[in-house]
Amino acid sequence: MAMSMEPFNRLVRLVARAFYDDITMKGENQPKNGRSDNRGMAVVVLDALTRRQWVREEDLAKSLKLHSKQLRRTLRFFEEEKLVTRDHRKETAKGAKIFSAAVAAATADGKKNPREGEEKVKLHTHSYCCLDYAQIYDVVRYRIHKMKKKLKDELDSRNTIQEYICPACKRRYSALDVLQLISPTGEHFVCERCNNELIAESDKLASQEMGDGDENARRRHREYLKEMLQKIEIQLKPLIQQINRVKDLPVPEFGSLQAWEARANAAGLLNGDPGGNDPNRANQGQGYGGTPMPYLGETKVEVALSGAEVKGEEDNGADIGSPMKQLPPWMIQEGMNLTEEQRRGRGEVKSDTKIVSSSTSTYDIDEKKPNDVKEEDKSIQDEYIKAYYAAMVKRQEELKMHQKTQNELLGGDVSNVQETHPGRQVGMKAKREDDDVEWQEAAIPAVANGAPKVNDLNITASESENEDDDGVDWEEG
Amino acid sequence: MFFHMVLERNLLLHPRYFGPHLRENLVMKLMKDVEGTCSGRHGFVVAITAVDGIGKGEIREGTGFVTFPVTYQCVLFRPFKGEVLEAVVTMVNKMGFFAEAGPVQIFVSSHLIPDDMDFQTGDMPNYTTSDGSVKIQSDSEVRLKIIGTRVDATEIFCIGTIKDGFLGVINDSDDVV
Repeated sequence: MAMSMEPFNRLVRLVARAFYDDITMKGENQPKNGRSDNRGMAVVVLDALTRRQWVREEDLAKSLKLHSKQLRRTLRFFEEEKLVTRDHRKETAKGAKIFSAAVAAATADGKKNPREGEEKVKLHTHSYCCLDYAQIYDVVRYRIHKMKKKLKDELDSRNTIQEYICPACKRRYSALDVLQLISPTGEHFVCERCNNELIAESDKLASQEMGDGDENARRRHREYLKEMLQKIEIQLKPLIQQINRVKDLPVPEFGSLQAWEARANAAGLLNGDPGGNDPNRANQGQGYGGTPMPYLGETKVEVALSGAEVKGEEDNGADIGSPMKQLPPWMIQEGMNLTEEQRRGRGEVKSDTKIVSSSTSTYDIDEKKPNDVKEEDKSIQDEYIKAYYAAMVKRQEELKMHQKTQNELLGGDVSNVQETHPGRQVGMKAKREDDDVEWQEAAIPAVANGAPKVNDLNITASESENEDDDGVDWEEG
Repeated sequence: MFFHMVLERNLLLHPRYFGPHLRENLVMKLMKDVEGTCSGRHGFVVAITAVDGIGKGEIREGTGFVTFPVTYQCVLFRPFKGEVLEAVVTMVNKMGFFAEAGPVQIFVSSHLIPDDMDFQTGDMPNYTTSDGSVKIQSDSEVRLKIIGTRVDATEIFCIGTIKDGFLGVINDSDDVV
């Protein structure tokens, strides 16, 4: 498909630079030069559209770094010029993600994940746009034809409205006035005032000339028109050549938005590798939907998938969908018998939290460690927000359930943590081997104890209590 | 171009028409007043198709006349620049010819008539091609393109051309070049 589009894309780019390189969108406002002079934006937009198929307008605005209002105005202008087709439809956020998945599939990303998260019932109107190549070809030809015709007509004085002059009083009349000026005999027109016969005189779009010096003005005007015609020939030559080249080629057709989406999704299904894919890619595809915090609403699914990925890596290529879903940390109630899988995923998730690094002895899980590190590095950006949220919830629960002493311990641990992670920033990769090792170790003894808690903090706290033996009464929540 | 619109008008009715046939009298008065007239904004009113509603009458002070606001639907005709119409030639002179397309008069000046047609005087003045194949005279049908309109408050007048392609005399058999 991309092959046959190249000459058409070239045509679109030529058209943009020929005709639309100096349009401003501020028709009504006062033109302010300098800062707000963004002529040529239309060319950028058209060029961007040649590299995409159906695209959501918000996404285009984001990738072009334009204000969406300006972009919308430009696209509306192009829609009126018949270069672009737009489609507006109300969608849930889920529908929007299906589209994103279709885009990802169409642009040859291997991974596609239509999300089946919770239904978001609110309907937003999303606008999509796409270049309409068939129409572009016709529109451009028509435009050039009209340009040339207008000049030729004027040269031949075809569309001019005749003027009539009274020889005596030099009064000028337009042909529109002649109805009242018909002579009684009906043979000619007579002047209102002096009743003399009027003489015809052709006029050229009267604004060009004033009364005297008609001959010169008219001649100059004709020369100007001829010059314009010649300039058109010269300056539009590459465009006309491209049109001729494109004339016989089949036009790339994307169809309506629904059809294209269905096709792209189907293609993606065939091409994409269902399991063992890059979780980063997966999460990118999921996060592409544009909602600010995708994880909040659909943490369950996310965890399952990333856990599946992790498990896939560990099990060397397991298929998607582990038999048991991994529970997110805030879902785990006390007293639940967590299975190995449920907790293992938790352990992975936990490793990214920056809550506590307990003082317990390290437990070396060599075989898991490199995998985990690799996973975390890849999925840091994704896990971070999720884990942070989980940690926040956890912390709230802790503070609720335990007494002040425990809070102090917790606070101490927290401050400890914050000291030990000075260089850690949002979005930056950081190796945290210490953390995950401790978490692994913390999780497992908890199971051994047979009393799984919501928070690993509880576990570590109780362990440290055993070691420190402050003699404080713990209130087990 | 023809349009079908809903318009409103205030009609003044003399008391002699009050009675059981008040409504019919109103409708008749409306048709008499409006059909065939021209407004600059809407164009020529060709026919009234329906009367939607007659509002409450208001008695004017000092006289017995009553004003009724009447909403009605009607067919309108308004010519536009660039429109192509068929018209019937009414008058030919050396400056050009006049044609009528329904209620609107169109003037085609001689310089917008193709160069190969010359004016022939006579009791039936006409424009004829050099070989006599095409003749424009009174009562011939002609297809013309409007290049200018003049819209007064109550009158519309147009200028036309037959110099473009596919314009000129309409014959049943031949194509006009």
